[in-house]
Amino acid sequence: MGLSIGIDVGGTKIAAGVVGADGKIGARAQRDTPADSTDETAQAICDAAAELIKEHEVEAVGIGAAGFVSSDRSTVLFAPNLAWRDEPLGRRVSEVLKVPVVVENDANAAAWGEFAFGAAKNVEHMVCVTVGTGIGGGVVIEGELLRGAHGVAAELGHMRVVPGGHRCGCGGRGCWEQYASGRALVREARAQAESGSLAAAQMLSVCGITDSAELTGPMITEAAAAGDPCAVELLDDLGRWLGEGLASIATLFDPSTIVIGGGVSAAKELLLKSAQVAFEKNLPAKANRPHPSFGLAELGNDAGIIGAADLARRPAGR
Amino acid sequence: MALTQALTIGIDIGGTKVAAGVVDPEGNILDRLRRDTPTKDPRETEDAIAEIVHDLESRHDVIAVGIGAAGFVDGTRSSVLFAPHLAWRHEPLRDAVERRLGLPVVVENDANAAAWSEWRFGGGQGESHLVCVTLGTGIGGAILNDGALQRGKFGIAGEFGHMQVVPGGHRCECGNRGCWEQYASGNALTREARELALSGSPVAHNLLRAADGDPRKINGPMVTELAKDGDPVAVELLEDVGRWLGIGLANLAAALDPGTFVIGGGVSDAGELLLAPAREAFKRTLTGRGFRPEARIVRAVLGPEAGMVGAADLAREEATWLRRVRVKTTAVTAKTAARSGRSTRLERAARKSVGRRTGMRTAAPDPERELQDETEV
Repeated sequence: MGLSIGIDVGGTKIAAGVVGADGKIGARAQRDTPADSTDETAQAICDAAAELIKEHEVEAVGIGAAGFVSSDRSTVLFAPNLAWRDEPLGRRVSEVLKVPVVVENDANAAAWGEFAFGAAKNVEHMVCVTVGTGIGGGVVIEGELLRGAHGVAAELGHMRVVPGGHRCGCGGRGCWEQYASGRALVREARAQAESGSLAAAQMLSVCGITDSAELTGPMITEAAAAGDPCAVELLDDLGRWLGEGLASIATLFDPSTIVIGGGVSAAKELLLKSAQVAFEKNLPAKANRPHPSFGLAELGNDAGIIGAADLARRPAGR
Repeated sequence: MALTQALTIGIDIGGTKVAAGVVDPEGNILDRLRRDTPTKDPRETEDAIAEIVHDLESRHDVIAVGIGAAGFVDGTRSSVLFAPHLAWRHEPLRDAVERRLGLPVVVENDANAAAWSEWRFGGGQGESHLVCVTLGTGIGGAILNDGALQRGKFGIAGEFGHMQVVPGGHRCECGNRGCWEQYASGNALTREARELALSGSPVAHNLLRAADGDPRKINGPMVTELAKDGDPVAVELLEDVGRWLGIGLANLAAALDPGTFVIGGGVSDAGELLLAPAREAFKRTLTGRGFRPEARIVRAVLGPEAGMVGAADLAREEATWLRRVRVKTTAVTAKTAARSGRSTRLERAARKSVGRRTGMRTAAPDPERELQDETEV
């Protein structure tokens, strides 16, 4: 296998890289995402790829897109944070670049990256959750990426965990990502600060801010790493939701490995420990079944680029 | 006799009843037996299986036996890891029964077996991405992609009934709270109906009358009958279960994105009284609704014998395959190998391979293709 390009298209940034058969990224290119215009987004993707193609001979381009990708691996049916609606993204980019292009869901691409080169190498049954602003899911079954009948499988963040719970951008209520994501972490931290809690006030001062509106997920993680009890508790709660949800997911897929990635996973043990405790506690019939192993992703923010590039070199499904 | 024409026995072992039948390659049941399940001792269960098989074998020429078991069946499909209603704990069922019967035996999770037959002969025919949900006492589940059962790493995928839908909700026998099967199963229907009757509400009058005035005698079929006669409370009780069904299916659609859901099991006898509210709740809860294709929700067509038929058909798949491999490469016949309890390395490899064929889509070479000329034994 030769070189291919992986492009991770997020709500704010387009990150591209040339990826070798060993899963290593060589050259990189980056653009801002023009989120309001599909034409400009396609243009920016082409620009980033063209910059790399100029210097490297690549056989394919893989795009990881934050949205529902059709089973044709080209059309984005819908994206919550971008303007895509039935957007023939793969075809458009391919026409400009003159190389084969496949489009994959971004979380699927990240899961594939971890499966092919990261934390779940050589594991045939794995579930990967990318905990960022929301929760993305990717599932590998017997060495194949689960895409479903229409291409939109593994939207694990939108499994309902609380009847009538928090509103979600997907149109539902009580989705898992409203409880176990970066957005949930910040929402809970702000709510606690606004309630006048002294512990939260202390956390704000550890973060070096006075207004809770300035709080971010990474700030909370840093405060927790520094031992702030409020921040530790917030991550603990988040981990519990994460672990409980993963226990439900394990009943569906029966994986041997569960991988947790995404920005929030930077909290490492502060998140993982309570997630694992909650997972073990909530796994149905836990005393009478094998338990999957549980670990952090290894490829960081590059998982999506690496996974998309690798998937672009493979026929559908493998 | 061409093996593909051969008969097999399917045995469905539930918490209370063992149902067995002789099944032909088109899924027709030629003969049936039923008896109570001995729940205390694994040996008694084996005895019951052996008796049933000897009885049916005396009247039919069968080549294999398939057992659908209500429990966790391990990845090699030889042992039952755990069965909530039976005495099995890490029970090496397949080898034990093979030794006694001298016939090839396949063990499969009961919901997987039922799903397999719905895909082969029933409501899921022609569907490449199928999810089956069996609503009985609890909820059984199965996933079939391109006709391959998805068993997971340890053999226990598709246990949908224990996905949590209500934090801190009703207790479940799996040890957790708020499992889906506490809200969308026959048990849930019965529990809600009894609770209503116990509250002394006048709306439960018909329910109580059907149960001779004793709330504890109310059961699911009673509610379904009343609902079919138009009793508004019974209709509501089924609506509530249907709504929970639809909500859970929306979760499964988020995770699995199937083309079709097939809903089976005793509670599905209520038909549209259950499925119409389920479809409504599904449409109302599905993530990204309006921007994605949606799965169909249909009723299973094979009824309570789906598990039996599926187990028999899976046994035929495997036996046909194993014999072909044996004929090609060794002189050991299926019966002697099974009787001695020995399995050759080749046989183990073949078993694994056929397990994948019925269980997983893989790029593994298909020995059937190489052995096409071996269909006659």
